[in-house]
Amino acid sequence: MTSNVPTNDLIEAMRLALLRADPKLSRFDPLPRIISHDCFSSGHCGWSQLVGNYENNLDTMLPGYAQHTSAMLSTLPHWDSGSHGGMGSSYALKIATRPRKGAQNVAIKRHTFRHRGTIRFEVYFTFKPEATELNLSETDVRSVGFLFDLQSGDQDDGGQRVMPHLRFLNALDGQHVQKWQFKRRTTELKPIGDSDKTLSHYHLAAEDWEDLPGGAQRLCYNEIPTKINWTYLAFDFDLAEMKALSFRCNDRTFDMSAFEPIRMPAMKNLWCMLNFGLFAEADSDKRAFLYVDSVCISGDF
Amino acid sequence: MLPENITLVVGRNECWSGRAATEPFEAGWAREAVIFVRALKEPKGEQPMARVEISPDGMRWVAEGTEFRMPSHEDGIAVLRVKHFGNWLRVAADYPPGAECTVLVTVHLKA
Repeated sequence: MTSNVPTNDLIEAMRLALLRADPKLSRFDPLPRIISHDCFSSGHCGWSQLVGNYENNLDTMLPGYAQHTSAMLSTLPHWDSGSHGGMGSSYALKIATRPRKGAQNVAIKRHTFRHRGTIRFEVYFTFKPEATELNLSETDVRSVGFLFDLQSGDQDDGGQRVMPHLRFLNALDGQHVQKWQFKRRTTELKPIGDSDKTLSHYHLAAEDWEDLPGGAQRLCYNEIPTKINWTYLAFDFDLAEMKALSFRCNDRTFDMSAFEPIRMPAMKNLWCMLNFGLFAEADSDKRAFLYVDSVCISGDF
Repeated sequence: MLPENITLVVGRNECWSGRAATEPFEAGWAREAVIFVRALKEPKGEQPMARVEISPDGMRWVAEGTEFRMPSHEDGIAVLRVKHFGNWLRVAADYPPGAECTVLVTVHLKA
């Protein structure tokens, strides 16, 4: 007697066929459950401003956070050539720093998780400085990158807050560095205010970035500040082991065996947190722009 | 599908003095913008008129024509509305010596 129940292989083949026939999803390699698929012609899709913690008074916010502003929807308009547009629509998410060397800005998407398995974060992105000069300006953006902000479940033993960070260090102090870095340390947790309810730390401080072994990569920057090309990245992280599994950028796959996230004891109110951040840093007194065409976040559950 | 709308915080707890302006923001998808400027602290000195500025490129700025008086007391709120702005927007104000205001600037955009 033959079974009418499809095999797992058939189910997977059907899933891939459906994904690959969808022009908006076909460019991604999502795991079986798509948690979110963000195309910015349909709005900000939950990518909001990373606001710092405070208590009673905004002056208590750490300066690293105080500089942040809201991400915006952009057609990548350029003074010399008009709107560049995205891959599949006119719009991309734009994360812009202030025009100051070392300035940063972060957009964040806040979820919680329901299953401790692999999470895949796929992004099509590009970056440029503000085109205030008629030259290549290839060392004006210090870095662009992403982070997760995770915490174990409230019933887990030895609960931790875990924050994997990766940045593409494009330039530092005018040197065109072009390599991927990670971070395993943050600044000291400090109480904000006097109620003992709110703490803050600055995990994007300039210190403590470490080179990802074999992480040098030359991306497509193009020839003037107003030409852009979209770049693909994919990062897999295991929520069960709280460990990075793989990282790809365009044609390169990187060895993640030396990668470590920031780890700290679990905090009081963050159980099952599943946050995603995207950030930009300036290396000169020009605004640095991180543009994001689309994001697909998926899970193996 | 409901029309897109969004609230952006473009200046938070920033002390304006001298030649002050928000960071530029792109709003080309929106048909209207309402901008609120709230004084988070008691302003000092004479409060100037602030103005909406538009731009062809986000770098060169032109007065759009809408002006408003900056709030004169803590928690005072100034409001302005703009409909024809192309893509780029910002709010700017020129303060006389010794005057300042700590502001929260929010932009409410609607498609």
